[in-house]
Amino acid sequence: MKRERKWMKLSVLSLIIMLVLSACGGKAATESDSSSEGSSSESVKITMLNSKSEINSQLEQAAKDFHAENPNITLEIVPVGSGQSPFEKASALYASGSPTTMMMLDTGDVEKFKDRVLDLTSESWMKDAVENSTAATTFDGKNYAFPFSIEGYGFIYNQNVLDQAVGGTFDPNSVQTTVQLDELFQKIAATGKSPLIVSPMDWSLGAHYLGLAYGGQSADRAKVDQFITDLKAGQVDLASNAVFNGLLDTFDLMKTYNIDKASPLSGTYERGPEVLGKGEVGIWFQGNWAWPQISSFDTADGKYGFLPVPVSNNPDDFGNTQISAAVSKRILLDKEKSTPAQQEAAKKFLDWIVYNEKGQDFLVNQASIIPAFSNITLEPTNPLGKSISEYIKAGKIEESMSTLPADHWSKLGASMQKYLADVIDRAGLASEIQAYWSNVK
Amino acid sequence: MLTEKGLWTRLLTRLIFTGPTLFAFATVMIIPFLYGIYLTFTNWDGIAIDQNFVGWDNYIGVFKDTVFWKSFGMTLEYVFITVVLTNAVAFLLAYAVTRGMKAQGWFRAGFFLPNLVGGIVLGFIWQFIFNQVLVFAGQKMNLTLFSTSWLADPDKAFWALIVVTVWQYAGYMMVIYIAGLMNVPKDVMEAASIDGASNRKMLARIVLPLMVPSFIVCIFLSLQRGFMVYDLNVSLTSGGPFKSTEMVSMHVYEQAFLARDYGLGQAEAFVLFILVAAITLLQVYFSKKLEVEA
Repeated sequence: MKRERKWMKLSVLSLIIMLVLSACGGKAATESDSSSEGSSSESVKITMLNSKSEINSQLEQAAKDFHAENPNITLEIVPVGSGQSPFEKASALYASGSPTTMMMLDTGDVEKFKDRVLDLTSESWMKDAVENSTAATTFDGKNYAFPFSIEGYGFIYNQNVLDQAVGGTFDPNSVQTTVQLDELFQKIAATGKSPLIVSPMDWSLGAHYLGLAYGGQSADRAKVDQFITDLKAGQVDLASNAVFNGLLDTFDLMKTYNIDKASPLSGTYERGPEVLGKGEVGIWFQGNWAWPQISSFDTADGKYGFLPVPVSNNPDDFGNTQISAAVSKRILLDKEKSTPAQQEAAKKFLDWIVYNEKGQDFLVNQASIIPAFSNITLEPTNPLGKSISEYIKAGKIEESMSTLPADHWSKLGASMQKYLADVIDRAGLASEIQAYWSNVK
Repeated sequence: MLTEKGLWTRLLTRLIFTGPTLFAFATVMIIPFLYGIYLTFTNWDGIAIDQNFVGWDNYIGVFKDTVFWKSFGMTLEYVFITVVLTNAVAFLLAYAVTRGMKAQGWFRAGFFLPNLVGGIVLGFIWQFIFNQVLVFAGQKMNLTLFSTSWLADPDKAFWALIVVTVWQYAGYMMVIYIAGLMNVPKDVMEAASIDGASNRKMLARIVLPLMVPSFIVCIFLSLQRGFMVYDLNVSLTSGGPFKSTEMVSMHVYEQAFLARDYGLGQAEAFVLFILVAAITLLQVYFSKKLEVEA
């Protein structure tokens, strides 16, 4: 009896040890599997972290199409949860030792990952990438990222509402100064509608609106960078800066005509596309990514476009005829855990997007993305993408500030919210912005 | 089995029963905790390959981070109010549903229900209520208190957090209080009523003192939950308007993952751990002294 019990105990113990050991050993086994996928004729499985959740289903379809043409490559899409930052997800994957083969990250994240990702300088698509699209991801002469999408923002207008307000067909070129914008707002208000909606999200106010104060300093990118350097060094007096003041003059105007003036901070993102699409307001400060939501409320027969955010009363000043646009999402290829075969497969997928007809169709028509490659001749099908393409073609583009510090939108977005709700005045806002920059690492 | 002799046999027995748990506890709690402490001495940003040793810099950084202490102060205020309100409401609910009224089982289940909803979902539901339902009702009925969104005003947003927290946890604490109330010996109560004690007197002199263990548990739980509030904070106010309701956990998280200063964020988390552990241990230590025997 006693002997039997001891035997049982031993067997239970050995079972536990076996379970633990097999759990630990599982990973090593799969790793050796993947490393055996050396030759290209064998099947390769690659993964991609997708941080544009709105195109997840299109991307999965693209993965299927790509697999159909390259039967030995299977692409799996790993979505980033909504509300989670792609940087956080990617660093968590690295920490757990299982990064995806491809990672779609924001421009500002690339530098942090540069020791862990492939140098893509010699890829064939480099020669077709539009001007400046890889400048922000090039370090020591090496480019580490694939420019995936261009996005832009400004005042989105509803053509129906504005036609009604001006009594004819509204011409977007007629608004190039703060005074002209004021007149337009008054005309809209005269029709009984609200001129615009200011969405109070910190990312919109902090990263996008306030970003115009930096990017609008000069058409020369080097001078903008110098301005940021001076800000960090505490050598800029924002309170007397012309672009900053001009931008806030426009913001004061927006505050006055805001449909949510009574409680400016209570609005949500979802409210913006609704009131704009239904024609309750004429203008919304937002970007082309809002198109799917606007289209679901559309009453203007798909007629929308962008107006620049004026910063002065001289139409020739930089920023008054430009809208802000830049490459927003980048794709990086892991070099730590990916096998050479996986890296080749991932590079093949990037080539497929740029040069294959189906890849281009996915990018432009299915995912409604404005491509960053000059060889792609397909036109965006949605009005906001079209509007941005027109500005790009006319050269009326102001570089978006896509390399601001990671907590800039959150901290200074809060300062902009205070200004929007009249908790602080302009001098207070300027000093909060300067204090942030002098503390940033 | 403990009587069995021999070191090996006893070790084996212990290993079978506690081994798996110990293994799990060590891998998911102890090792990450120690690794976390190690990270507080580095300037790691969450992804870089090198982790440079920076000594005590991060801890000095914690004391220099005024926003951390400001949000810690606000969290203290929040914890104090929610602990008092949650336990008061929970006790009253428990008292009400043990009086033998009709359908009290249903009431118990109903009050407990908010606990079964995750904090994130709950935050979004209440965000809709505060932003839309109450505002709509306030404007229709001319109630100035509700005519603008609570979440757009720093003070009201703070109270919105409190309302939802109390609503969520009161039901849970109620269950513990019900158990406490049930355990008050009937004979003592009977003796008191024969002696002519009023209901109020019985509550103050007999029920409350006998329920001190329940209070210790409930206050401990609500303290700890209050300090660690994060999900509700993120989903209901996301720290807004303009960071005025950013509780300390959320600040720590943002410091580590948003400002990408993992070392400093981890150091703040560790300081927070020490402070919360000290407060809760003191609470348990002192309230233990209030316990009485029936």
